[in-house]
Formats: sequence, C-alpha cells, structure tokens
Amino acid sequence: MRKLILKIEDLHYTYGNGKSALDGVSVDIYEGEKIAVIGSNGSGKSTFFLNVDGVLTPEQGKIFYRDIVINKKNLKELRKNIGIVFQDADNQIIASTVSAEVGFGPMNLKLPKEEVLKRVDEALEYMNISHLKDRPPHYLSGGEKKRVSIADIIAMKSEIIIFDEPTASLDPLNAMMLEEVLLKLGEEGKTMLISTHDVDFTYRWAERVLVFYEGKIIADGSPLEMFQNMEILKQANLKQPTLLKVYESLVEKQILKDIKAYPKSIQEFKEILGE
Amino acid sequence: MEKIIVLCAVFLMTVFLFIWKHQRVHAHSSAPHHHNYKIGHKHGEGYSIDFYAYASKIRQWNATFKVYLSVLTLILCIVLDNPYVSVTVIIAMAYLTVIKGNIPVTEYLSILVIPITFILLSTFTVAVDFSKQPIGQYNLYLGFCYMFTSQEKLEKMAFLLLKVFGAISALQMMTLSTPSSEIIYVLRKAYVPKIIVELMSLIYRYIFILMDVSTKMKNSAKSRQGYCDFKTSFYTFGSIASNMLIISLKKANAYYDAMEARCYDGDLVFLEEDKKIEIIQIALAAVFIIFLILLWNFTR
Repeated sequence: MRKLILKIEDLHYTYGNGKSALDGVSVDIYEGEKIAVIGSNGSGKSTFFLNVDGVLTPEQGKIFYRDIVINKKNLKELRKNIGIVFQDADNQIIASTVSAEVGFGPMNLKLPKEEVLKRVDEALEYMNISHLKDRPPHYLSGGEKKRVSIADIIAMKSEIIIFDEPTASLDPLNAMMLEEVLLKLGEEGKTMLISTHDVDFTYRWAERVLVFYEGKIIADGSPLEMFQNMEILKQANLKQPTLLKVYESLVEKQILKDIKAYPKSIQEFKEILGE
Repeated sequence: MEKIIVLCAVFLMTVFLFIWKHQRVHAHSSAPHHHNYKIGHKHGEGYSIDFYAYASKIRQWNATFKVYLSVLTLILCIVLDNPYVSVTVIIAMAYLTVIKGNIPVTEYLSILVIPITFILLSTFTVAVDFSKQPIGQYNLYLGFCYMFTSQEKLEKMAFLLLKVFGAISALQMMTLSTPSSEIIYVLRKAYVPKIIVELMSLIYRYIFILMDVSTKMKNSAKSRQGYCDFKTSFYTFGSIASNMLIISLKKANAYYDAMEARCYDGDLVFLEEDKKIEIIQIALAAVFIIFLILLWNFTR
C-alpha cells in the first residue's frame, strides 16, 4: 500500500466577487501517483491547485501534508514540497537570466549558494537547456520558456509537482518532450498532478483521474472507468479518447476479440492487432 | 568663415541623413519580426541595446570591473576637462566595444547617432550667438539679424563636444557589454537601497512583458481596422492603454501567486554569479587611468 502524502478535506473557496470556485473538495493523494485533473474551463482546477499549494487560503477545509495539518506557520513547508508549473510561463518567469530564474526557488529556500548553483545546473541539465543559462527570458521561444518554468520547479526538488495545463500552446515536438520529462519524473517517484483538456494524453499517461465540475470532484478513478462512463463525460464536457473509441468500435464490429485489453498507446494497439 | 559654416551644415546634413536612413531600415526590419522570438532587435533601439549587451564578447568580464571602469573613465573625462583625454577615452572605449566586444562598427555608430544629435544641437547654441550688429570674428547675415561666432567659441564647442562624447562612449561601453541584471547586481553590491534594486529588476523584466502584450494588442487591433483613420487610431490607442492597465494588474496578481508558490517571503533575492576578474584586466585598466591622468598633466 502506498503512503498517503496529501490529504484534502472538504475544501471551500469563494473568490472576492462572490463566485464560488471550490465547493467541498476532498481527495487523498498517495506517493508517486500520476493524477490527471480534467474538467471544463472554469470548473475550479486552477483554484484547487492554488489552494493545495497554499497560495490561496481556503475558507473552510483542511489540508494534511504527511499527517501534518497545514496552518499559517508551516505553510512554507507545504510550498516547499509542492511545486506548480503555471500554465503561462510568462506569468512565472521573474528573473532576467535563465540561471537566476531557476535559482529563484532554491534561493528562497535559503540554501547555501553552492547548493543553489548545483541545483540550477542539475535542473538545466535535466531539461536539456544548459546552453540557455545566461540568456534573458525575453529572447526565448515559447517551448524554451516552458522548459525553463519546469526547470524552476525541478530545482526546488519538491515531492509533488503540479502542472497547470502544460501542453497548452506547445507544438507537437515540445509536447512530446514534455511527456518524456513527465515519464522521467514518474520513474523518480514524484507525485504529479496535471490539469489538462487532452483526453488522449490523460488516457495514455494517468493512473488516476479526477473530474472537476462546478467546484466539485464528480468522479475519481482509473482513466478507463472514467472514459467508459458516458454520463460523467457528458457532464464534464469531455469526449472519449480516440484510441478507446477505435478499440471499442472494432470490438463492436467483432473485428477484434473482446479480451478487455484496452490499448493505451499506438504501440500496444499494434501488438493487439498483430496477435 | 563661410567655409566653416558650410562644413558644419554638410556635417549636420550627413548626420540627419544617416538617422533618417537608419530609421527607415528599422521600420522595414521591425515589421516581420513581431511574432517570432528569435534573437534580434525588434522594437527599435531599446531592444537592440539590450540585445548587444548579451551578444558582446566582453560580457564574460566581471560586471563590477566594467561598471567601475566606465564610471571612473566618465568622471575623469569630465573632471580633467582636456580634449586629449577626451579623444583618448573615445578611442579606447570604441576599441573595447567594437574590437574586444565584437559589436559591428555600423551598429556601434548607429547607436551613438542618437546622443550625437542631442550633443550637436546643444553645443551649437554654445558656439553661436545672434545680434543685430555685425559683430564677432565670423558672422553671417540672416536677413533680419546676424549669427556670429569666434575662433575661441568654436574651439570651446569642439572641446565640449569631445568631452560629452567621451563621457557618453564610456557609459555606452558599459551598456553595450553588461546586461541590466548584472548592472543591478553591481548596484546591490554598492549598497544601493534594496527597494530600488528590487524595483529595477522587476521593472526591467516587466518592460518586455508589457511590450509584448502591447504589440499583440496593437496587431489584433490593426487586423480589425483599428488604425484605419486618425480618429479611430486615437480611440484604439486609448482602449489599448486602458486595457494595458487592467492586464498589468492581472499579471501582477498572477506573478505574485507564482512567486508565492516558490516560497517568496518578501525578499527578492536572485542567484547571482561572480565572474572571475583577471589581474591583467585590472592592471591594464590602472595603466589606462594613469595614462589619462599623465596625459592631462602634460597637456595642461
């Protein structure tokens, strides 16, 4: 059994304009889980992330990090262990050189300078952007900025990494590189939460799916369960992943035997066809 | 006398022609660059100066050394008030920027053209005076009054021109070889108040974001005929300006969230690396400074 790393209990949050964004969210997150958070625009995903990271303070509800209740005093502990890669890299990049930017988090953790330098080098190496080290962020391309914003979080060595719509506005090549990084991080046992609108990606990558609808989690389970539940899909403005649809229609037409194999990638699908 | 005036006029004309040509080149080159993020100057001079600082070969030099050298040279240039010193400074700084820093000569000159225009306009008034009577060593009848000057005044103008030009090229050496973030770092080390230093680094980053946003808004307005006539242009400009305010407030919020998520707790500290300073550089700089003082001493 995996260890519980983050426990969220009955989270409520209302924005200043009276719009309720979170309406009683409870969820348990275990070590090393790969969670996709899906739901239509404005369903509360981003607000949920900001609450979990302690940037926004919930009106009601508790957050436990490894059995410790988070309050104002140990908020920093929470922020230290949870990193968010924001959707728009331009809203995240603050320093005027890449190395200073990646070093911003570690510097705030008050680490000694040698350690910060080491972490910056490692993070840049990890994201394959060591050559951009001394560049100013305003001369970087969109994909490069995204990599820098991920390196920001890697340098902080947080246990849980949250990605807010990482694939939005990335070209296919950069999106593929992002997925490789996600796999690599997964192998290192990082817990990851990713909000996305890409159902194919969710189906392929996630171990668990949380579906948000109007500030509530309406479904929580494996991607397969979720994408076979038409009711939830309709409610959350989602569609079925292409591969699942193809597989199901092939089974329906009795071209393939119904062995419940459910391929997650083209590779797996080809193997099934080959048999 | 006429010769000098004609010479001056020709010189001024060439300068203006150069500026005009330069601007035209810029207007042409800026259009297709709006939407790609490749290195290169996009929005006129502000961008390119910043760009050259990053491209300069002497960027690797210690920033503190560069800033102190340039400020010291600037002070000497002004305090010593000697044309020989000024000329030496101009040549030395051009050498540092163009040969050592490997910045194209044409670009270096085109950047200097902007201050040159101002210097010429202001020093011209030092040299020339107007009068109803034909007085002075040289004078020129303009129909309703006389414009007059003298050898001494022209000399003064030339020396002043050299002095200001030397001071500017000293500062230009710094700006063309040291990125703003490093200059801010030097200021921080020089005990400039924290609030100013933090504001400087945030403003520097924000300039580019705001420029980006405004370009995008402008382009989208253009694509919807927002600048089709004078009145509409005014209206569009106003709308963009007010929209920019709202967007900057929103962006400030988003920034703050992102900073908080990375454990920001009121102190804006960035990772800054000390670049190695070589003894030979200090020695050469010292020799240069001593040379300037000796030069001043012998030509006094």
